[in-house]
Amino acid sequence: MNSIDRRSFLRYSALTGAALGGAGLLAACGGSSGSSSNGSTDDGSKYGKVAVQLSWLKNIEFAGEYFADSKGYFKDAGFGAVDLIAGGAASTSVEAGLDTGKVWIGLSAPQTTAPAILEGLPAKIVGATYQKNPFAIVSSAGKPITSPADMKGRKIGVQDTNQLIFSALLAANGIKPGEVTVVPAQFDPTPLANGEVDGWVSYVTNEPITLAAKGFANSHFLFADFGLPLVAETLTVTQNTIDSERDKLKAFLIAEIKGWKDAVADPAESARLAVEVYGKDQKLELGEQTKEAIAQNDLVVSASTKTDGLLSMTDALIEQNIAALRTAKIDIKAEQLFDLSILREVYAENPGLK
Amino acid sequence: MTTTVLRRIGRFLLPLATSLILLLVIWSLFLRAFPQIGPRVGKTPSDIWRYLVTAPGAATARQAILDDLAITLRDATIGFTVGMLGALAVAALFVLFSAVQQTFMPVAMLLRSVPLVALSPIVVLVFGRGTAGVAVLTAIVVFFPALVMIMTGLREAPRQAMELVTAYGGTRWTRLRMVAVPAALPSVFAAARVSVPGALIGALLGEWLGSGTGLGASLVRAIPMFQYNRLWASIVVVTVVSVLLYAIVGVIENLVLARFGPSAGKA
Repeated sequence: MNSIDRRSFLRYSALTGAALGGAGLLAACGGSSGSSSNGSTDDGSKYGKVAVQLSWLKNIEFAGEYFADSKGYFKDAGFGAVDLIAGGAASTSVEAGLDTGKVWIGLSAPQTTAPAILEGLPAKIVGATYQKNPFAIVSSAGKPITSPADMKGRKIGVQDTNQLIFSALLAANGIKPGEVTVVPAQFDPTPLANGEVDGWVSYVTNEPITLAAKGFANSHFLFADFGLPLVAETLTVTQNTIDSERDKLKAFLIAEIKGWKDAVADPAESARLAVEVYGKDQKLELGEQTKEAIAQNDLVVSASTKTDGLLSMTDALIEQNIAALRTAKIDIKAEQLFDLSILREVYAENPGLK
Repeated sequence: MTTTVLRRIGRFLLPLATSLILLLVIWSLFLRAFPQIGPRVGKTPSDIWRYLVTAPGAATARQAILDDLAITLRDATIGFTVGMLGALAVAALFVLFSAVQQTFMPVAMLLRSVPLVALSPIVVLVFGRGTAGVAVLTAIVVFFPALVMIMTGLREAPRQAMELVTAYGGTRWTRLRMVAVPAALPSVFAAARVSVPGALIGALLGEWLGSGTGLGASLVRAIPMFQYNRLWASIVVVTVVSVLLYAIVGVIENLVLARFGPSAGKA
């Protein structure tokens, strides 16, 4: 009853041994290349090169970063190069990028950063580009969806990265997940235009304008008006950066503030940078992007940024965010999620930036 | 007879079991080789064991994944069945009418190289985002490789046996039934075996881009939600299920082929 002869058994064992040896070799090689990409100074600059993970495709949402890069604010601050990495419908999150050392800083959102922190990621939000929650549900003007309750029994296109905020919207408004049909979406809102879905998760600055420009009359409601007054495009870094690279972070924030001041002042140039330089491969429409840049200013500039400076957050706004997260069943303390002290130091040391 | 069967099955299962253990080893070593992945994104086998079995919330976590798995398995089964039956029917048609084969086989080969991801928006538009759309995507994954393999098997029917049937006045149909089909059995089973993981991949893809249900969707959604335990656990579950199904088809294959002698189906 020798069902497996010795020769073939030996052959399998040898194979196993070879594979194990190979894996060991792999482990040996990996050890030496395990350096973090927190920036090197091979290029002779003070802080070297850093990678910035954007939250979406390269459109005017990152106009401040484009200005900071193209006008040399990053260079002036001591950075050799700043690598702006585009996000997308199903890209790796900023938090994973920070955790694995792939990026140094990222543009994320409280509802994405908070769960990662609760999972043990030592990271914090150090500034907020958007003072208001830009998320909206766009729908056709003929069959408008004007409140979360209207979504019941309808089909809503939700991008994978936005599942979390969409669940938060449902939770904050007492809607059960089963009452709305979620359709997986990518970045192109064509399924809304051709009637495949009834609603579409979008930035109020983006799809409503691009769809209208293509002749699709639409209506929308803002998440901010229905229990989710969250900030967005938040600058997130690891705790290690806050503790041991404070000066580098401050230098970066100064460049960011300068970039965003320029972007707010000149929406047309913001649009040009997005269309002709940074987002060139996407063939964006200059007119649409200009309108979006103008609309975006309402999110970036608020009464409090006029006195406290761009990217800043008042304690009241932080509390609002924590409360909104709690309604979305994300229980986190303000001091676990936010650290605005660096930005406040930046403004205290450079009052001219306000 | 029993010895032959056991020997065949043993020879099939032993390397499979070895490779499963190897996978665990490679997984652990991979995480150790790339320490920058870190403990929150890169989960080890013991992390996943804890998440699925010993942790306080393990039952809930397991249930969530098993619920999704049930949907994925249903999608994969429908697609697999449709794809395999389709491949068998078309292969039979090709063998019966060689003119049809000469016209359509190159087309089939060409279609095989169309990337499914590129095709999926069209499939979704035509067949909808429900079970039908996912089943079609899965069936496409299964159909083309299976067709090519079955065709190869049917063509390998011994010429003398075919001619013998003809000499005794047998029709094309008799030739197919008595000689070509038994000769093609090893290829059919090989095609079925290879198509099992393919069907799962097709179902996952369809769920991610189409229906938004099942493991295909929850896998991808776990990433922005930073639920890496769930992501790794889902991958483990899909892999184990895929290997198990592969093994089941393999065992059936060996049981059937053992009837044709100890070395039937071996090159």
